[in-house]
Amino acid sequence: MAEAPPATRQPLILGEKSLGQVSRDILSLVEGGATPLWWTAFLISFTVLMIGAAAITYQIATGVGTWGLNKTVGWAFDITNFVFWIGIGHAGTLISAVLYLLRQRWRTSVNRSAEAMTLFAVLCAGLFPVIHLGRPWFAYWMAPYPNTRGSLWINFRSPLVWDFFAISTYLTISFLFWYFGMIPDLATLATRAKSRLRRRLAGFLSFGWSGSTSTWLRYETVYLLLAGLATPLVVSVHTIVSWDFATALIPGWHSTIFPPYFVTGAIFSGFAMVLTLLLIARKTMGLEDYITVRHVDAMCKILIATGGIVGFSYLIEVFTALYSGDPYEQFAVVNRAFGPYAWAYWLVIACNVVAPQLLWFKKLRHNMLVVWIISIFINVGMWFERFVIIVTSLHRDFVPSSWAMYRPTIIEIATLAGTFGLFFTCFLLFARFVPVIAISEVKGVLGPGHRHEEAGS
Amino acid sequence: MRTTDISIDRHELGGLAPLLLKLAGASLVAGVAGIALMATVGGRGLDRILQSWLVGFTFFLNLSLGALFFVLLHHLTRAGWSVVVRRLAEGMAALFPLLALLAVPIVLWLPRLYRWAEPGVVVHDPILAGKAGWLDPTFFTIRLGVYLLIWSVLGLYLFSRSVRQDATGDPRLTVTMEKRSAPGMVLFALAVNFCAFDLLMSLDPHWFSTIFGVYLFAGSVVVFFAVLPHLTHWLQHHEELLHTVTVEHFHDMGKMLFAFVVFWAYIAFSQYMLIWYANLPEETEWFLRRQSGQWVWFSLFLAIGHFVIPFILLLPRSSKRKIHRLLLVSAWMVLLHWVDIYWIVMPELSPGRVPLDPLDLFVMLTMAGAYGTAWVLLLRRRSLVPARDPRLAESLAFENA
Amino acid sequence: MSTTVMDRRVREEGAVWGLLAEFTDAAELIEAARKVRDAGYTRWDSFAPFAVHGLDTAMGIHKTVLPRLVLLGGAAGCLSGILLQWWTNAVDYPFLISGKPLFGWPAAVPIAFELTILFAAFAALFGMLGLNGLPRLHHPLFTSERFRRVTTDRFFIAIEADDPRFDSGETRRFLTQLGAAVVEEVRD
Repeated sequence: MAEAPPATRQPLILGEKSLGQVSRDILSLVEGGATPLWWTAFLISFTVLMIGAAAITYQIATGVGTWGLNKTVGWAFDITNFVFWIGIGHAGTLISAVLYLLRQRWRTSVNRSAEAMTLFAVLCAGLFPVIHLGRPWFAYWMAPYPNTRGSLWINFRSPLVWDFFAISTYLTISFLFWYFGMIPDLATLATRAKSRLRRRLAGFLSFGWSGSTSTWLRYETVYLLLAGLATPLVVSVHTIVSWDFATALIPGWHSTIFPPYFVTGAIFSGFAMVLTLLLIARKTMGLEDYITVRHVDAMCKILIATGGIVGFSYLIEVFTALYSGDPYEQFAVVNRAFGPYAWAYWLVIACNVVAPQLLWFKKLRHNMLVVWIISIFINVGMWFERFVIIVTSLHRDFVPSSWAMYRPTIIEIATLAGTFGLFFTCFLLFARFVPVIAISEVKGVLGPGHRHEEAGS
Repeated sequence: MRTTDISIDRHELGGLAPLLLKLAGASLVAGVAGIALMATVGGRGLDRILQSWLVGFTFFLNLSLGALFFVLLHHLTRAGWSVVVRRLAEGMAALFPLLALLAVPIVLWLPRLYRWAEPGVVVHDPILAGKAGWLDPTFFTIRLGVYLLIWSVLGLYLFSRSVRQDATGDPRLTVTMEKRSAPGMVLFALAVNFCAFDLLMSLDPHWFSTIFGVYLFAGSVVVFFAVLPHLTHWLQHHEELLHTVTVEHFHDMGKMLFAFVVFWAYIAFSQYMLIWYANLPEETEWFLRRQSGQWVWFSLFLAIGHFVIPFILLLPRSSKRKIHRLLLVSAWMVLLHWVDIYWIVMPELSPGRVPLDPLDLFVMLTMAGAYGTAWVLLLRRRSLVPARDPRLAESLAFENA
Repeated sequence: MSTTVMDRRVREEGAVWGLLAEFTDAAELIEAARKVRDAGYTRWDSFAPFAVHGLDTAMGIHKTVLPRLVLLGGAAGCLSGILLQWWTNAVDYPFLISGKPLFGWPAAVPIAFELTILFAAFAALFGMLGLNGLPRLHHPLFTSERFRRVTTDRFFIAIEADDPRFDSGETRRFLTQLGAAVVEEVRD
């Protein structure tokens, strides 16, 4: 893209689309049926999902002992995966809500798929605290309900209960936000449908949307209100996740910067995952005119900014530990960087702090392959970041006699793989059956000159 | 859509400059006279004056930091709406050399404010002895100098390029400023954080909190967005300057104020809750000091005044669009930011007793006078609007959807 | 129109619900909506495939009560969050743990906050559905083959027969004058 004069704003959608063409382009996969590529991807994902399901079944049937946890390291792979997936689940709401409030209109091309991603990632995340319970069939004990065991209530002062409330609220609102944004497009799907079943089904799911102005007006008001509510919500969710650690006394966990640091880390990893997926989607689904270089460029800049804040937090953590004069804090920092898990720590630094610096260069930001590879690096780095935080703080605690090492078992690795299978299976089904881009919103950001359709077309 | 031809509009301080200079000068003279009076007749010692001085200095430092953040963010995000008020902020962000001058008394009498600067204290305190490498008077002074140098370079650079664009109208200057702002923001963030650690957190040299720098940063943006609508409105009111600024721009300033009030509360609560929950004595001491004696009421006033009240008042859309309501809330927030700084500094130096004193007011008058004079002198012969910014037209036509 | 003709029509094809005018452009729709409003029609609406800005003012629609509903929902959520935690942990089942007070406000904030957001979002969503009369499985306009393009690329104005100023011939002429590409009758 040439250097444009600052006064002009670039068009958001390329290719001079007409309104009807937007509908046709975006609905092509939904209306056109599955391609062989789709089937291949789906079958692979589904197989991996089944492997994960088998691992979880075996673990529930046998016990948590099938994992590599021990008395010293009681949280490891499971909670790492939990925080990782929750983090991925933050970009969707961020793109939908925060960028909406900030009037970043380029979001319209990516918000639908990012919201769907949020939903699937939160599903994956929610799995881990449950299977971690040991007796997951009693998971409902986490909910406050009147029971016959006398006066017995859950402990609301426990951060794990806060988590339960935060995650379930987040899942609910993410779903509503996603579904709500889809209502007008479902109506589009219904009116264009050839088969009677699909018309009925999509019409039913669109609630009988007619596109009348008063409906649109209230719709937009609600969208704005939901965006205003989802923004503090998305911040609160990862804040509460960070409190799972930071309320404890463990050196390396108890740090006041954890809330904003975790939230930014979540956005960082979420955007990386959005890029990973969208770069594949735009290529395979022919959406280059909708998800343009400009969109990728903007997301890369968000990666630089959030990656910068994450790196800044690492620095402050190290500095404050050394400054604090607290020998335990100091030991935790030294042990992370030079202890038995040092390789993981430096991997984190390389992936999260060093790799994103390449995105300062416009040439690299506009090279889709480079961006895609960097996004993979960040995904890996952010997974290991949580692993380092959790495992290195636990495995060498206050009492050297109880120090231990942690090594994941094959069951844990299969479970992690299984969540990737779940995630991609859901995402592929989504891409097959619902419009991956918000059609009505894209129509709103087409330039005024592009809206005419030749009569009769 | 409105179109305003700003070429027929007056947008220089012009006749207002002498009036403003007179006001600022009066404030400066009254402040200095007041301090002298309190020192001699009132019998306030150097220690007490320095305490007030640190509060006042931090207040105006934060104002300039908020302004610099706003200008950097404007360039980084290529914002459209904020062009019309950017020059006012650029003026404030260019005042760091003055702030360096105002920091001299603090550096000169370090041990009177900071325990760690007294060698006699440090030898008997193993924790402080361990920190002696970092908390060293010379090193501290150098660091403070570096922070102020970074901000001065950034502020003056952005100011000079923006002013140059007024003369040349070269749109490439906008592109350069945008490019320089990204590394500028990195330096800005690091300097703000470590300055907060040095200048304020080290008042209690045992205590540490990783979020402390972010807390101070949140406050600095609050005070900037509280001052900006007042400045804009005052200039608009007198001689119809800046009528390029419409209710839409005030609405956005209100939104930013609201957002950062909430952000401040989020950071403040995170810090408090984590320390409260973990209940480690070496961390809770800082809050206990603020929950003992008269400071209890002061802390409650801060929590309610800096969050609950502005949150409720700024929530409805109308309170951001009715300018007089917005001005009322933002005036309150200017006061509460001072309260915030006072709450950070004073309990360390006066445990158990809130030492409110006319001296605090006189120091603020002195600083405001000096700050205001410098701002007017800087902008006296300049346009108050970046008149040839390529995005000015977008800003003029801006409407909240 | 005489009553006998009217009766026969009702028997044959259902009552006339209103007139539907089709436009090809958002700007035309806004212009037409303004004129329909100025002509004094009250029971009418316009339809578009995306949210057209300026249409609400052109139609003279006022702001909705939704923000107030959301505020109420949020307040209810916050209050129930606090009451729930206080009553269960400090009254019904007082249980001292990790040296925390039975009801310490900092520990109560997270859940009170989550419930605030949850209830407020429910208020927004169900409030919108209720006010819009959704879900709605049938609408007379859905019988029009032409109207199906409203979700793709066409813009419409419909004036209902219930409108006091409605007159089949007069209104049709009026809509044609506004630049409608097609005007058709919609029956219930």
